[in-house]
Order: sequence, then C-alpha cells, then structure tokens
Amino acid sequence: MISRAVVAAGIAVLMVVSSVGTYMYLGSRQSKVAAPAQLPTSATPSPTAFNLPGTLFVTQAGAIYSFSAGRFHQLTPAGAGWTQLAPYPNGELLAVKRSLLFSDVYIIDRFGKVLRQLTHNTAAANNYDPSARHWSFYPRLSYNKKSIFMSYDKPKFGYDVPMSIWSMPVGGSISQGRLWSNAIDYTGGDIQPLPLRSGLIYTKYSYGPDCSGLESQLWFTGVPERTFAGQVCYPPAGTAYGRPLTSATEGCAQPSLSPDGKTMAMICTHKTQVSYLELASWNGKTLGPRRTIITNQLVAQPTWAPDGSGIAYLAPSVLGAGFQLWFLPKAAYTPPTPSPSPVTPSPTPGVTPSSPSPIPSPSPTGPPVVTKPLLMTSNLGLDATSPIVWLG
Amino acid sequence: MAVIAVALSSAAGGFAYFMPAIQEAFDATSQVVVVPSPTPSPSITGTATPTPQHPPGAFTVLLLGSDNDTKFQGAVLTQSMIIVRFNPAAKKVTMLSIPRDLWVPLSTGGTSKIDGAYSYGGAGAAIATVQNNFGIKIDAYIWIGLAGLVNVINAIGGIDVVTQAPVFDDFYPYDIGPGNPYRYLRVAVMAGPQHLDGIHALEYVRSRHNDLQSDFGRSARQQVVLLALRAKAAQISAEDVPLLAAALKGQIKTDMSLSRIATLLPLAGSIDIKNIQQVVLLPPYTHGCGCPSGYVVPVWSEILPLVHTYFP
Repeated sequence: MISRAVVAAGIAVLMVVSSVGTYMYLGSRQSKVAAPAQLPTSATPSPTAFNLPGTLFVTQAGAIYSFSAGRFHQLTPAGAGWTQLAPYPNGELLAVKRSLLFSDVYIIDRFGKVLRQLTHNTAAANNYDPSARHWSFYPRLSYNKKSIFMSYDKPKFGYDVPMSIWSMPVGGSISQGRLWSNAIDYTGGDIQPLPLRSGLIYTKYSYGPDCSGLESQLWFTGVPERTFAGQVCYPPAGTAYGRPLTSATEGCAQPSLSPDGKTMAMICTHKTQVSYLELASWNGKTLGPRRTIITNQLVAQPTWAPDGSGIAYLAPSVLGAGFQLWFLPKAAYTPPTPSPSPVTPSPTPGVTPSSPSPIPSPSPTGPPVVTKPLLMTSNLGLDATSPIVWLG
Repeated sequence: MAVIAVALSSAAGGFAYFMPAIQEAFDATSQVVVVPSPTPSPSITGTATPTPQHPPGAFTVLLLGSDNDTKFQGAVLTQSMIIVRFNPAAKKVTMLSIPRDLWVPLSTGGTSKIDGAYSYGGAGAAIATVQNNFGIKIDAYIWIGLAGLVNVINAIGGIDVVTQAPVFDDFYPYDIGPGNPYRYLRVAVMAGPQHLDGIHALEYVRSRHNDLQSDFGRSARQQVVLLALRAKAAQISAEDVPLLAAALKGQIKTDMSLSRIATLLPLAGSIDIKNIQQVVLLPPYTHGCGCPSGYVVPVWSEILPLVHTYFP
C-alpha cells in the first residue's frame, strides 16, 4: 500500500511539472515575428540557388556577404556599417562604411579586405558640430573608369541637407570633385547615380511641378552642373541641365541597366506603400513604355544577372519578416516567341506577363507555363537599401 | 484530487506566464481622465459643435505621442496627435493628423500651439482642446512615449515600410537613452522599401528639419508607420502579449478598459487597408504664421467642412 506521503509527493511533483510545463508551453507558442534574422552563413539557401551564375554580393547588419554556388561567405565583420556595394574592376568592390555621424567610400577586394579609403568625411574629434561631417552614399564607377560618382551632402545649409550627385577622380579626393546635379532643397536630394557612356541617370526627389507631394523621378543629364543653384519644389525651366525620364506620379527609383544596355529595371511606388518592379526599354535618351513585372511584393534593388539570364532582387517572403534574395528568370519577362499554337497566359499573382498575348485561339497544348520568381533564401534580414552586386 | 491539483497548477503556470501582461494592462489602462467641459473658442464659435457626437457604434481615439520625459521633467509636449475613428459598421478607419504647431485656444485657457495642451493639463486637456476646436467627440486616448514606440517595434521584430524619400537631419535630438538629452545626432534614413527597427523607425517619423512640409511631412510618415505596425501586429499571437507588455512598460497609457481594447484590436486588424483613410492638414487647411515662433495658423473655414466629411 502506498503511503499518503508518497501520494502527496507524487501530486506535488505533478503540480510542479504541470505548472512549469504550461509556462514553457505558452512560451514556445510565441510567434516568430521578433525572431532575429538568421546569419546568411548559417542559412540553407534554396536548391535552385546553386544554379545561379557568378557571385552575388549583399549586405546584412553592416556585414558584406558573397553568395556563389549556393553558399554565403562573410567578408566583413557584422555591425561594421558596411553597405551600398558597387562593382569595381578586377572583381573588387566599391562599398560604403557608415558610422554614427558620417560615411565613407572604400575600395575592397573580393575577400572583404580594404584596399583604399576614397573619402574622408569625418571631422576633428573635438569638433562637436554634427553638421561638420558628411555623408557619401551609392558610389558607382564611371563608364570610362576614371572617376567615381556618388551622392554627397554638399552643399548643405543648416537644416537643409540635400544629397547631390558628385564625381571625383579615381586617384583623387572629393575636394577635386565635380557637381553633377542640383538637388531640390528640403527633399533628401539626388541619389543612386547610374553613370552611362552618354551621361548620368540618377534618382531625384522633388515636390513635383505643383509643389504638392514629395516623390522620386529618374533623371538624365549629359553634362555636369556648372554652379549650384538652390531650388525649392521642382527645378524651374532652364536651371537644370537634366531632364526627367519618369513622371512624378510614377515614383520611380533604383535604376538598373541590363547587360546589353537596352532595358532599364526600376522600382516604382506610384505614391503607395507598395513597390513594383518595372521594366522599360532604353535607347540612350528616353525610356520606353513600362512593363510591370512584380506587383505583390515589397520589391527592392533589382540587379541583372551578368549573363542576362534573369533579375535578382530583394523582397520579404512574408511582410515584415525581413528581406530575402529572389531570382526572376528571364522567361518571366521576355515576350514569348510566336508559335503556331500560341496560348493565352492566365494572370498569376506576383508575375505580370511581360506582354499580352492577345491571340484568341484556344491552345490544344494545355495550360501555359508561367515563370514565377524563385525564393533563394529564407529567414535572412538583407539590407534592402543596399544595391546587390552580381559579378560574372 | 490529483486531476484537480494538476489543473490548478497548470492554471497557475498560465497565470504566471501572463502575469506581467496583466499587471501592465491594469497599470496602463482605465486611466482616470478629467475632460474639462467645452468652452467655445472665438475662432470656431458658430461653426464647431459644442457637444460633438458621432455615428452609432463608431469609436474615436486620440493617439498622443510624446517627447522624452527626462528632457522636459514631466512637462511633455505631444509631438504627434492623431485622431483615429473606428467605424465597425462601415468597416472603415479614418486617421487625421493634427499639426503639433497648430495655433488654437487651449482648454486650459489662453491660446498656444496645440502640442502644449497635454503639457498644461494632461490627457484631459488634450482631449478637450481637440473636441472644442475640431468638433469631434473623442471617446478615449492612448498616449505612448518615444521609448515605448521604439520598444514595441523592436518587440514585434521591426516593420516593413516604403520610405517615400530619404530623410537627412543634422540636428536630430539625441535624447533617447542615457547622457545629455540636448545632444544632436546626424540621421540618414535611405529611401525605398526597407525593414526598420525601432530606433530607425523613430528617426523616420520624428525628423522634420529637412522636410519642406515640416510637421505635415512628418505626420504623413507617422501614418505610414502606424499602418506598418498594424500589418505586423496582425502576425502576433496571444502568447506574444507578455513580451509586448514588457516592451511597453510605463510607456503607454490609456483610459480605455481592457474589454474595450479587446473589442477594438480585432477590428483594427480586420479592416482592409483600402478602407483606411488618411488625412493631413496641409495648406489650404493651414498656413504658416511667418513669425519666429513658427506656429501654424488653422483655416477653420476649410478644416471644419473637411472634418465633418471624414468624421460625420
């Protein structure tokens, strides 16, 4: 016969186990919304990622990572402020290193080693004026490889801190730089330079011709600005050398030119909290009609594969869950080749067929094959404000 | 008996798990607020309704976001004032941002910027001032401190937003955390789709120096972050509540009861984003004073018809 003491002890143990178990069970049922992003090096990329050509470079939490053959390699320490990469000759990279009060542009090799610091935007340690420092963002090498373009916050006037596009000699300093764009006052300014043989495309922020809402536009200019001219709202006629390539209502930014130089990929918001991946033909002077390719994701940083096989971009797989690497194969946005028995594609969430196929005859060959974007990673927190670099 | 003991101990385990949330809920909710009776102001006499009403079933909340307590030693200004109307019947939410510098008669007496109402008379004065001037019946208020906003965004793992333009500010107040609260920080928030943690989300919604639209631009950014918060909050579960309660500890106050909150939260999450209307009082509803104090002059003949349209 079991004594009462044993029974009591048993019940006590059961009570402890059940109360602690309940507490732990509830804790285990917390959603994963606040789970920290996984380190790319410990993530398991999608099997399709093994087929991507070349090497991609991305940033997460201030560290630079390379991604090739389905594996990430960490090139710089986490939390070091590295962001905004751009290609440089010989497999090297331009990169921005951001500190609390300023940022500088560096050249680094493919293993993350710093080769040269190009800008020196800090001020003396005993200078307590925050505005004595400068920001440099979005560096890009010029077409002839002799100069480096960037967004740089000069000139600025007290509370007005607009970024302008500058170029500086590769072997020189920003003090030898040339002003390429006149930023609109109190907008944030001009960013994301894309140097071309014929000139420069960049993203300009303005309040529009009617001075109403703050929006982005792609602009083109063939020559540097001669002098700085302060402008409010929108460039008055004759005060800017450039011209807009997109309308203020489109809200386009993040231009990316295809390897053959004929198609521009860009992100447009159309004054909404949604971003669309849009393509347009580029003839060296103007953009052609827009084709919306991705419609239902928070898409950012479109980057063409060096072999033209598709477009990589960043977007969350679930809203709020961190930005992941995606790949959109060329078939998703290339107009289908006419065939004797064409089919009518049906709309698919997320992918808008690149051009309508208005041939009404029913297809005897079955439903169309619609190419969807491929998710390459999961659980990462890639920096969506940092352009992807994709080297062949 | 063993079964009862196990059931009781399991309940005790659950109670212990939710205890911090329950404690914070009781501390933060059902705050006693005294709303002074309306005093018609000269600027709106004959136009605003002295005792405003709203459609049956609708519920209107005044969201108040404040400066840092330590900097102003308790006399906090409300940097953000947003009227949010929930209309369950129409499944609609309307948000109206009030410029913090709006020059209005305060319920506590005198005329001043509206952000001073809370400073002079607490939530009751803020509510009464809004009711008196805008003719909108306020049913409840929610106050959240800057640190509370940072903490809650971090507690839900950050938010995804599309920042419409880059935000650069060389004189951003560096008053969160220890140290001299009068220091300045350089802020650079990039443009475009991105994931923001609490600190960077606060920088985005709080900076106004490099925005031509100043407080109006900031109001629009605040609404963007509110909607992103709502989208992310839809993903949390009941088991996350203690974590959120810890994040908000002492940084949130409301006069709503727990039962009222329990009915409003699912409603807020269920409303389609297309049915959320956002209103910011840009010109011609307001204009600058052209004076050193930089207050914003309300054009009541424009504002009140707008208010009556969106807040019938």
